[in-house]
Amino acid sequence: MSTLLRIDSVVKTFPGLTALDKVSLSVDSGEILAVIGHNGSGKSTLVKILAGVYLKDAGQVTLSSSAEHGEEVTEMHFIHQDLALIPELTALENLYLAKGTLAPNDVAAERARARELIGRFGNVFNVDIPVKRLSPGQRAIVAIARALDGWEHPRNVIVLDEPTESLHKSEVDALFQAVRQLAADGAGVIFISHRLDEVLELADRVAVLRDGVKVADEPTASLDHGRLVELITGSSETERAVAERTVSAGAPMLAVTGLRGGGIEHLDLTLRAGEIVGIAGVLGSGREALPTLLFGATPSLADAFELVGRPYDHRFPEESIRRGMAYVPADRVRLGSVREFTARENMTLPELRSLRTRTGSINAAQEREEASRLIDEFQVRPPRREQRFGAFSGGNQQKIMFAKWLRNKPSVLLLEEPTQGVDIGAKAAIYEAVEAAAAAGAAVLVCSSDAKELLRLCQRVIVLRDGVQAEELSGESLTEHHLVLSGYGLKDMEGTA
Amino acid sequence: MTTPSTIGGLRQKLSFTNISAIYILIAVLVVFSLWIPNRFLQIGVWRSLLDAESLTSLVALSALIPLVCGALNLAIGTQVGFAAILSAVFLANAKLPIAIQFPLVIIIGAAIGLIIGLLITRVRIDPIIATLGMSSVLLAGMSWVSNSHQILFATDQPDFTKIATTPIFGITIPVFILIAVALVTWFVMERTPVGRRMYAAGYNPESARLAGVNVARLQIGSLVAGGAIAGLAGLLLTSRLNAGDPTVGPSFLLPALTAVFLGSTQFKGGRFNVWGTIISLYVLAVGIKGLQLAGMPSWVNDLFYGLALLFAVGLSRWERSGKRLGAVRRVTTFRSKSKGD
Repeated sequence: MSTLLRIDSVVKTFPGLTALDKVSLSVDSGEILAVIGHNGSGKSTLVKILAGVYLKDAGQVTLSSSAEHGEEVTEMHFIHQDLALIPELTALENLYLAKGTLAPNDVAAERARARELIGRFGNVFNVDIPVKRLSPGQRAIVAIARALDGWEHPRNVIVLDEPTESLHKSEVDALFQAVRQLAADGAGVIFISHRLDEVLELADRVAVLRDGVKVADEPTASLDHGRLVELITGSSETERAVAERTVSAGAPMLAVTGLRGGGIEHLDLTLRAGEIVGIAGVLGSGREALPTLLFGATPSLADAFELVGRPYDHRFPEESIRRGMAYVPADRVRLGSVREFTARENMTLPELRSLRTRTGSINAAQEREEASRLIDEFQVRPPRREQRFGAFSGGNQQKIMFAKWLRNKPSVLLLEEPTQGVDIGAKAAIYEAVEAAAAAGAAVLVCSSDAKELLRLCQRVIVLRDGVQAEELSGESLTEHHLVLSGYGLKDMEGTA
Repeated sequence: MTTPSTIGGLRQKLSFTNISAIYILIAVLVVFSLWIPNRFLQIGVWRSLLDAESLTSLVALSALIPLVCGALNLAIGTQVGFAAILSAVFLANAKLPIAIQFPLVIIIGAAIGLIIGLLITRVRIDPIIATLGMSSVLLAGMSWVSNSHQILFATDQPDFTKIATTPIFGITIPVFILIAVALVTWFVMERTPVGRRMYAAGYNPESARLAGVNVARLQIGSLVAGGAIAGLAGLLLTSRLNAGDPTVGPSFLLPALTAVFLGSTQFKGGRFNVWGTIISLYVLAVGIKGLQLAGMPSWVNDLFYGLALLFAVGLSRWERSGKRLGAVRRVTTFRSKSKGD
């Protein structure tokens, strides 16, 4: 088999972080290569380099056009998680969106071609209804068919970036059937995923990235779940990342029973003063929905909802803040900040009441003084109070967001991916701030896809799966190994007691 | 604060990008003073300019307030026109005394703002569409009430016309009203928590909401306040014209919006603000007045405002688009690379 794509010693660094450290990979014609790893392992950086979104710092990416296929040029196609389809257009319109100019479409020919492409992957479905009315599996097939259209030969590289996120099991099967078909025809497939059972089912070979380094590149036949988890986490199963913490949890700050709404089917949750509780779970497990539900940013129902000992039934952000809740969203830019505002204005926005003078204006001197103190306390760099938020680096934006929410000494602190996309220095500062808040009596909830982070911060971790609590891990059972297995819904084969 | 940063801050405050309008004003003054000194340097010219533009400034403020909260109001001209017609109709047809007519028009103006606010926040119609639709409705209302004719009220309420035309120390009352409204608006927008939240709501409504800002309530409130000011402007307009004229109000839209957008490039580095708006408006007015006195035809008016609006918005987009170019270039490289064509 000929090699279609070769990646040689690719290096990519971001300020304070080596995202990819001399990573080499290759994929052959007819081969399905899975690339797996944690959040932050470098797999998304790799995809972005292949796609040309990032420029690599060093190394080579070569698409081969080997002599045995004549003058054939190998192409690379991407199918991203969101599939990049336009929901309101029909499958047919989506397929031919980028093709042609002013000449009228030959709809009959296009339809026949579309049916032929889709037919390669099983039953042909109606291509004349809007894509949003197709099933997620059918949508994935439309995306693949679009990538396939116009191939002069089958020996191209196709990169599937977490394509199964929104699919049901039967649809995953249909998609895998299609992918195997592609490979059998001679394509090289790179399959990015964090679902280990799917990787083991589909791939011929598995490459594992950890902290930007390729730690394994082995045929699937020589791997099993336990071995993969070990490779991903770099730790054996009994290792506990941080020594046992002694925390005396105080009074319940937040007590919820029967919470439902968004991605949550049913959840009981109690957070006590001084404790840091983790929420783990894969995308779609309800992990991302939980903090906005608790904060009242998305409507939810609950059998009982108590905040700092008082019932709280009509929930919305303004009232949640008034009652001492704080929510630091993962999406700093879209949800967490006003880019055009200065650091000072961002930090004081949730609570301006205490800065009011008798005439109703903001006490400018007091506000400046408070902002300076926060910038000092959270080590914001550069320490420019009047700099626009958008001009700070990611890590410092995150510090400003923490300053903004911790300023009011919240009794319940909801965190979502608190260190996503920040460098190591900022990470340490943020962890310190979270622990200080808990020590001061806040109940902290950390929703994170980063298992190491949960181990570093939390006394107990609740694993969500399909909108319900799958497991609660604490003490001995709270290991990275166990966390990863539980999140993926896998039985722990090694069997911790 | 140390001395160097104060000097640096002062230099930045006086830089051309920060207060270009003032430099342009000086340039315009110098040019016309040299070009047509006899006609341009007349106290009467300046008095009438100050008086005439005070109404446009009020209208600009009534557009500015909701715009800060993220609601572009295209109905502002017809809101003023509708209020102007009502002012005359209440006096001439309904024979209401001024003491009732005056507050009534302002309340109706605020109510129109409330309706627009509800359309935007509750029915969730895009502000541009909501205000465009409302604008047409008000236009129809004006024609219906006035039969598309001027409405004279001099025989019923000869005193009403004095409100806008009585000078105090040589300056007419609308100028004082403008100063009062501008001061209050400035104070609320730049000195109070409400103003801070208004800006946050306009810049990033979703993130403002998560920071506990009630975006909908602010938008409604700002449209109500803007509507009340539009009502006030309508009253003064009718008072000054000595008649309710259905054709005048809508022509305020363009100068008002131009001033608001041009004003955002002044003083506050891209933020809509009161003083930038008013100064921009007077700079434009002085330029146009000069051109008219120099014998230019009346269409320079529209040309000038149109070009200034495009220039102002273009200027504010300039910086951001410069940064975007880099990203665009990278994506195009990826296309040609990965698709191999």
